[in-house]
Amino acid sequence: MDIHGSTVEFHGVTRKFGNVVALNDFSLKIKPGELVTLLGPSGCGKTTALRILAGIDKEHSGVVEIDGKDMSSIPANKRNIGMVFQAYSLFPNMTAQENVEYGLRVRGVDSVARSKRASELLELVGLASQSARRSTQLSGGQQQRVALARALAIEPSVLLLDEPLSALDAQVRSQLRDEIRRIQKTIGITTLFVTHDQEEAMAVSDRVGVMNKGNLDQIDSPSHLYNKPKTPFVAGFVGLTNVVPAVAQSKNEVLVLDQVLDISEHAPSLVKGEEVKALIRPEAISIEKAAKGAVVITKSFLGPMTRIGIDVGLHDLIYVELTSKEAKKIDTGDHVEVTISSDSVMVTHA
Amino acid sequence: MKRTLGWSDRTILIAAGFFFITPFLAAGEYSLRGYGGKGHTFANYTWILHQLGFGPALLTSLRIAGVSVLLLLFLMIPTVVYVQLGGRRWARLIEILCLLPIVIPVVSLAIGAQVAMPKRLQSTSYELCFFYVIICMPYVYRTLNTGLQAIALPTLVEASSSLGATPVKTLVLVIIPAIRSATLGAAFITFAISMGEYALAVLLHFHTLPTWATNAAQENLYGSVAISIGSLFSVWFLLVLFSYLPAIKGALQNKKVKVT
Repeated sequence: MDIHGSTVEFHGVTRKFGNVVALNDFSLKIKPGELVTLLGPSGCGKTTALRILAGIDKEHSGVVEIDGKDMSSIPANKRNIGMVFQAYSLFPNMTAQENVEYGLRVRGVDSVARSKRASELLELVGLASQSARRSTQLSGGQQQRVALARALAIEPSVLLLDEPLSALDAQVRSQLRDEIRRIQKTIGITTLFVTHDQEEAMAVSDRVGVMNKGNLDQIDSPSHLYNKPKTPFVAGFVGLTNVVPAVAQSKNEVLVLDQVLDISEHAPSLVKGEEVKALIRPEAISIEKAAKGAVVITKSFLGPMTRIGIDVGLHDLIYVELTSKEAKKIDTGDHVEVTISSDSVMVTHA
Repeated sequence: MKRTLGWSDRTILIAAGFFFITPFLAAGEYSLRGYGGKGHTFANYTWILHQLGFGPALLTSLRIAGVSVLLLLFLMIPTVVYVQLGGRRWARLIEILCLLPIVIPVVSLAIGAQVAMPKRLQSTSYELCFFYVIICMPYVYRTLNTGLQAIALPTLVEASSSLGATPVKTLVLVIIPAIRSATLGAAFITFAISMGEYALAVLLHFHTLPTWATNAAQENLYGSVAISIGSLFSVWFLLVLFSYLPAIKGALQNKKVKVT
């Protein structure tokens, strides 16, 4: 297959729907062969960015470039971009094989060549034996695999994945997610993936961009994004975060749950006495059984880990994650002593 | 859960069935009567085939019906697709326009449209096609609209476009085949109405099958009823065939898949 990764660049792209700014001065550069995910809640602008790159939607201002070429005046059908949609999008009147051949057929490729290419791609997505089936005879996961093969058949310069797994059940979603990553790495195609599922984003991406109200809050590697979130929104959206009231003790120290923590790495220049909020990851909290103190209220088994909800006298419970083996020692109603490690604690103004 | 019919449901169904089928049975029996109303024979049906003007009238009606079907689908499919995709603000206007042929009397339509029709078209029976397009619009619009609502039209269009297809190719290769049942239904309605339309044809002095049948009825009343029954069942047979075509094709496809 003759696919080479292209460079994709958004320069200050803005898109409005009436008075609502869906995408605000959005800039992003995706390197050749890289898989970048845009992650965010509904309405944050991630799909709008993808649709503008595909040429299905139009930016109000800014420039989108592929390999340095301005795409503004190029219609969707001339951009050579492969796209897999959230909704099942196979053409119902065609078989899986005909669906994969479609892009080549409209390009005038002869039937022998397109049949060969379609067979190769169906093999790649593990559906060679299902080539004669129509979309109604395929499961949701199979339909999305065919859609992926169809998108790749045209040897696109960029692959766009618009929440392609969201309609699938958990097991199929996980399998197909890994398969998408395997295929993407095998052929080295530049890929923009859009999802609201943080686990999905973390699992498949080279870099994840977290979007909030039309803005790209932070773009980083999954581990960096989780460990070093730059904004409270990113900290709250990526992974579980406890939001706890705190008081600044000095420029670098805060008082949280009766503990003074040195947070010099994350401190937003604090003023002594200032009321702030501490954003604490569950793994930064450890608990020990005690005769009095905080009370264990909930205990949720998550497989290898168990999430424990603790009443520390605040409005909301704080959550701690222990290995399920450790958690066996703790029951609901137990009193515990809570210790916070200053690692993974971030402070924001109240 | 399978629902069993109560006595009231059965009574209504039987009464409705009688109401529907009795005229057909009576007409069928009448069309089979022999000369002077004695005995039963198929002579009235064979009589039709030997009548002067039957062939040309049938051909004229078939030509008009065929052109009307093509013209209407050519006009309505892109229109309804446009309305569904992005022209929703026009939907109400188009619905009102499509309802007008139902409320405007055929005589007014004939006179008004005849005045507006180019002179060159007035001298050919193809003029009727334009009237039939107008008459069939309400039914065709609804049929196509329902068909398009049943598919994920925006996604299919975007998928086709992202794969490099022009809007015309998307329409021809993806949308029309995806709404084949609705398209066939719309084509059938237009064909049936065009084949049976009498008032406009007689007002504009064109010799179509219905106008010929009316004249023939003056010579052989039994034969004219045979014509009506014959055309009714031909059209009905086409309807059944068109309705079952996708299912038959699907069944064949399933069989092929199982074999492979």
